[in-house]
Amino acid sequence: MIGAGYLLITALIWATIIAFSWGLAKYLKKVYENEKTFLDKILNPLENFIYRILGIDRSKRMGWKEYFLSLFVFSVFSAAISFVVLAFQGMLPLNPMKFPGMSWSLALNTAMSISSNTNLQHYNGGSSLSYLGQMVGIQFLQFTSASSGIVVAVAIFRGFAGKRDNNRNLGNFYTDMVRTMTRVLLPLTLILSLILIGLGVPQSLSGYSLVRTISGSFELIKVGPVSSLVSIMQLGTNGGGYYGANSANPFQNPSPITNYIELGAMMLIPTSMPFLFGQMLHKKGEGRTILIASYGLYAIDLAIALIPLTTLGPGMETRFGGFSTVLYTVTTTAFTTGSVNTALAAMHPLVILAAFLGMMIQATPGGIGVGAMYMLMYVIITVFIVGLMAGRTPEYLGAKITANDVKLAIIAFLAHPIIILVPTAIAYATGAVHTIGLGKGPVGFTQILYEYTSAAANNGSDFLGSTGNTVFFNVSTGIVMWAGRFIPIFIMLAIAGRMSGKKRSTEVALRTDNLIFPAILIVSILILAVLTFFPFLVVGPILMHLEGIRNAL
Amino acid sequence: MKKGNLISSTLRLALVLAVICGLVYPVVVTGIGQAFFPYQANGDLAHLGNATIGSYLIGQSTNNSHYLFNVRNDSASGVDPDITVSSALAQARVIHNSTNISIAYLDSLIHNNTRYSMFFFGTAYVDSLSLNIQIINHFHNSIAVYGKIYDRVNHH
Repeated sequence: MIGAGYLLITALIWATIIAFSWGLAKYLKKVYENEKTFLDKILNPLENFIYRILGIDRSKRMGWKEYFLSLFVFSVFSAAISFVVLAFQGMLPLNPMKFPGMSWSLALNTAMSISSNTNLQHYNGGSSLSYLGQMVGIQFLQFTSASSGIVVAVAIFRGFAGKRDNNRNLGNFYTDMVRTMTRVLLPLTLILSLILIGLGVPQSLSGYSLVRTISGSFELIKVGPVSSLVSIMQLGTNGGGYYGANSANPFQNPSPITNYIELGAMMLIPTSMPFLFGQMLHKKGEGRTILIASYGLYAIDLAIALIPLTTLGPGMETRFGGFSTVLYTVTTTAFTTGSVNTALAAMHPLVILAAFLGMMIQATPGGIGVGAMYMLMYVIITVFIVGLMAGRTPEYLGAKITANDVKLAIIAFLAHPIIILVPTAIAYATGAVHTIGLGKGPVGFTQILYEYTSAAANNGSDFLGSTGNTVFFNVSTGIVMWAGRFIPIFIMLAIAGRMSGKKRSTEVALRTDNLIFPAILIVSILILAVLTFFPFLVVGPILMHLEGIRNAL
Repeated sequence: MKKGNLISSTLRLALVLAVICGLVYPVVVTGIGQAFFPYQANGDLAHLGNATIGSYLIGQSTNNSHYLFNVRNDSASGVDPDITVSSALAQARVIHNSTNISIAYLDSLIHNNTRYSMFFFGTAYVDSLSLNIQIINHFHNSIAVYGKIYDRVNHH
């Protein structure tokens, strides 16, 4: 009876989010195809004012190289602004708690982490960040990394949709970014922030207060601009919390209701991307394929995590109970958000295994914008494999997929294991693992592998927390996070640029808009992930699980 | 596009968005939140008499006293105020033995404050701080120990 209740709640959440996402996608199409919306009267003058400040030609359309370069240089500048604020917050205003600036390596790690949509946190925000640090150091980058993800997806969709003039039809980076802020992220976060405040999440700039508790000891009430941060960290699949304990902290996530709202918030925009893809292509079936494949993988992930029947235990929060904790952990890795409402060390090895799968695949449905991008990468690899088996030239959306397209997709795919496994090996070889007190066994290995997997997948959940605050881990994960962010984006924009110029045939050799193709896609993704990562999962969470069984005998 | 244009435009975009998303947005949310939901926006503060004694959302240790409900100390946040109903019922027996507060009163208190992790099923739990404050308010004149706690907080 209770098992059925849990499944019913999950089904209700999925149905609600899919319905909302479908509606959102219709609105997003209007935003990115410059159609009229009800917000035009207020927003057009504001946007024109911003365009004048930027000094840009808004009618200009960009090719993939210019689009990428603009995004990359913009990301460097925004990370630099955050770095300065974090490193020098001690001398800056809005610091009633008088927190000192971060060390250079921690400020660097944090700026690279938030700007790459990872939000790996080697700091405890509640006890080390000023209000300015939380607002301009963190929230600002959570907005820009979220909108970067969306505009990359939109640019790639435009390329895949083809038509228009050769190679210059990925859109205009500046107008895409500005419109994403003014028309999508700011309105959604404003609504969500106010709902969360009403449900108990604090929003204040008046400083921490010291009170005497009922037993006479002293307690700091750590209120700040929490709700405005939580809303963008969830909607933008960022995951970097206001407090060290992230979404387990009652100020960030006070009740079961806020837990489900925050859970749904991280699913909303990534789920709308497949619908947007279908609508921009005027081929809804192609969008459906992406949606079914990503939710199919999400379901498999969840099924693995639910095998152990987790009940409330140490390292969890009473108000969430066992099931919601597992559902949140799987969802936060499946959507590569990385906020956590539990202590990961308390989770069953099979839940950790499911978390690894989500971060290794990155398209289940994956992070904001980039999840759909990774799914298109898998589609290209899959049509190639199917083409080989059928002895035909691979095609997607009527365009021929050439050897170079496949090579690019494979490079994007292989970048992921390389930037996970090479740094993991270096961390062991240099002894960096032992300096933070982790041993050689499967538990220590799982934690280090998880650290780099989470960094590479731009997820951000981790075991280490502030114990990872060493120069080695700050710098190495910083590099991994930016490589994990920008290498795949560079390659997929290149593929989109190539796709945009291709001739489209109306004859269809391999249908990708039916119900069989998503099934093939899921199988091929699982095979690719398992072939790549299985040996490392065996010596990590799988060995932990087997040891657990042996110890129970 | 010239490189110079790209650098100046992306830098300007970063600065403009830092102001809009990093300053204007959180300040506007704070203004609206403080105007419409002042209690929640300031952290659900709990009071005893005139004194602020904490937040209802943040659990408080009672130093394993036998007079009040104790929080669990192995949660993820470390400040989880909630305890399971079964733990609360067990603690109610200890409190009854130390204070003579009737079991019927404690059980009905637990019953009236029970919530569920899945709205109507799942883990049944109560907020330990909320229970303690209700007990103190109910008995502060009649039982010495609560009077003492009440006085200490009031004199602070």
